Amino acid sequence: MADVTVKVNGKLRTASVPPETTLLQLLRDHFNLTGAKLGCDVGDCGACTVIVDGKPVNACLMLVGQADGRDVLTIEGLATRDQLHPLQKAFEDHASLQCGFCGPGIILSAKALLDEVPNPTVPEIRDALSGNLCRCTGYTKMIEAIQAAARVLREEPAEPNA
Amino acid sequence: MAHKTEIGVREQRVTQKTLHSVDETLRLPAVTPPVTYPIETLVPQVRQQTPAVGQRVTRPDGRLHGLGQTRYIDDLAFPGMLYAKIKRAGIASARIKRIDTREAEAMPGVMAVLTGREIPVNSFGPSLKDQPVLADDRVFHAGDGVAAVAAVTEQIALEALDKIKVEYEPLPAVFDPLEALKDDAHKVHAPNSNIYATKVIKKGDIDKGFAASDHIFEGSFRTQMVEHVPLEPHAAIAVWDPNGRVTIHSTLGRITLGRADISRTLKLPLNRIRIIATIVGGNFGGKNEITQEPVLALLSKKTGRPVKGVFTRTEEFIATTTRHPIIMDYKTGVTKDGRILARKVRLVLDGGAYCSWSETTLGKACILSAGPYKIDNLLAEAFVVYTNKTMTGAMRGFGAPQVCFAYESHMDDIAAALDLDPLDIRLLNAFEEGSPSPTGQVLQSVAVKDSLLQAAQRFGWKEARK
Repeated sequence: MADVTVKVNGKLRTASVPPETTLLQLLRDHFNLTGAKLGCDVGDCGACTVIVDGKPVNACLMLVGQADGRDVLTIEGLATRDQLHPLQKAFEDHASLQCGFCGPGIILSAKALLDEVPNPTVPEIRDALSGNLCRCTGYTKMIEAIQAAARVLREEPAEPNA
Repeated sequence: MAHKTEIGVREQRVTQKTLHSVDETLRLPAVTPPVTYPIETLVPQVRQQTPAVGQRVTRPDGRLHGLGQTRYIDDLAFPGMLYAKIKRAGIASARIKRIDTREAEAMPGVMAVLTGREIPVNSFGPSLKDQPVLADDRVFHAGDGVAAVAAVTEQIALEALDKIKVEYEPLPAVFDPLEALKDDAHKVHAPNSNIYATKVIKKGDIDKGFAASDHIFEGSFRTQMVEHVPLEPHAAIAVWDPNGRVTIHSTLGRITLGRADISRTLKLPLNRIRIIATIVGGNFGGKNEITQEPVLALLSKKTGRPVKGVFTRTEEFIATTTRHPIIMDYKTGVTKDGRILARKVRLVLDGGAYCSWSETTLGKACILSAGPYKIDNLLAEAFVVYTNKTMTGAMRGFGAPQVCFAYESHMDDIAAALDLDPLDIRLLNAFEEGSPSPTGQVLQSVAVKDSLLQAAQRFGWKEARK
C-alpha cells in the first residue's frame, strides 16, 4: 500500500491505496469526486482531465505516487457555494455541453489555458482543447463559451476561487 | 355561564359555516364546465420557421454537467458492490471445446464466474434473436464474450480473466461481405444462409429506361465500419434482490426493448425487472440494445451483491455495434441533358456476426438509395449478410449517410462526364412538391430545390466556379 497526501481543491487529503492506483481512481473511488470521468483509460479522450500544479493532466495516466504532495484541482473545486466559475456559467449560457461527459475535462483544460493566457486566440483555444474529445461535437460552442468566459475574467481580474 | 355557552355555540356555528364555505370553494365541481377559452394549437406553416428554430436555448441539465455533478452510471456505487469483467474470445470463428474457470474461481477476491451455459436463454436481439449473451458453444466474432468474472476490485477481475482457460477448435470464417454472398461461402450461422434480410424496390421498367437513355453510367462505392465512440463507455449496475427482482442501472437508450430482452435471457417475468436508465454520456445509436446487463444480473444473483460493469474502450470497438459498411453499386441511365431515366442499385450491407438493427438499416438504406430524385424506372436491391466480424447495428441515420455518399458521388461523376454543373443536374432531377418517393409515398413540403438554390447563393457557388 502507498500512503499519499494530495491537496485536492485546497484541502489536504490522505489515502492508503495500492501503488498501481491512478490519480483518477483515487479521486473517483477514494475521495468520491466523480466529476473527472473515465473515457478511454489511455490518455486519448481527456474526460479525466484535472489540473495538477496549474497544468492540465490526464488523471488516468498519473499514478498516485506521481501526484503525492501536489496540488490538484478538480471540477468540484471550481465553483464556490454562491457562484459558478465564469467558465461554468459561460458553458451553461452557450449550451456548450450536450451529453456532458467530456465537460469537466474540457472546462478544466480551458481553465488552465485562461490562467496562463487571459486573451487567447481561437487557434490557442483549439490547441488547449486538443487533448479533449467531444463526440457530440460541440467544439464551436465551447470555443465561444471560453472566449466569453475570458472576457468576463479579464474585466474582473479577481477570480472568485483563485 | 349559560350566556357564555350560547356565544360559544354561536361562534362555533359561524366557524363551521366559514369552514364549509372554504371547503366548497376548494372543491372541484362534480362536472367540469366546458372550456370556453379558445384553444389554438400552434401549427407551423409549411416552409415557415417554427418558434424554436433559430432560438438560443440552454439545456436544463447544462449546469450540472459543467459542475461535474451529473451522475452517470459509473459515478454510482452501492454498498458491497463488485466489479465485473468479460473475457473476450479473440478468435473470429471457433467451437468452444472446454472452458476451465477453476483457477479463476479460486483466486482471493473473485466472488463468481459465469459462462454462457449458465444463461437461462442465451439469445437476444431487437429483431432476430441470434446473439448470445456470452458465447456457449460457438464463437462468431472475436469480440464475443466467453466468460465473466465478478470480483471485489476491477484489477482482480481483470487478473481472473487471464486465469480462465478456454480451448477453441478454430472454424472457417468469412470476413468479406461479397464472399459471404456466395453459395459456397462459410455459413456464419449454419445451416442458415448468410443473407439474413433482403429488400427489393421495383418501380417502372429499368430495361426500357436504360434502352431509352443516351448515356449509361456505372459506379461502385464502399463505406467503412464506424464505431459510435460515445465518450461514456457502456456501463451498468445490476442489483438482484432476495425477493427475486432485479434492478438494473444502465446506459441503455431503449429501456422497454432492453427490458424485454433481459426478461427473455434471464427467463424472468417483465414485472420483476426494473431498469433505471439515467443520463447517458453519448449514445448515437450504439446503446440501443442490451450488452452486458444479463451477465451482471446473473453475477449479482450468484453473489448476492450489486455488480457493476463498465466496458473498456477496446470493448467499445470490438464488442458493441458499429455502423454498417455498405458496398453500393449504381447504374444510371440519363438523357443528353442529364435527366435520369433509369437507375439500378445494389446494396450489400456487412451485417457482422449478429443481426442487431440490420433490418431497419437495410430498409432505410434501400428506400433512400435512389436519392431525392425523380426516377420513373428504378430497381433497388439490398442484402445484408453475416460475416465473422463485430456486429453492425443502429447508428445515426440507419444507413442513410452511406447511400447519400454513394448517390451524390455518382451524381457528381455523371455531371462531370456530361460537362454539366453539379448543381444544375440536381435541380433538373430533384423531387418537387407531390413527387412520389421510390416506395410510392407522395411527398409534401418538398424544399430540395429551394434549399439547393439558397445554399448555392449563400456560399457563392456560381461565383466560385467562374
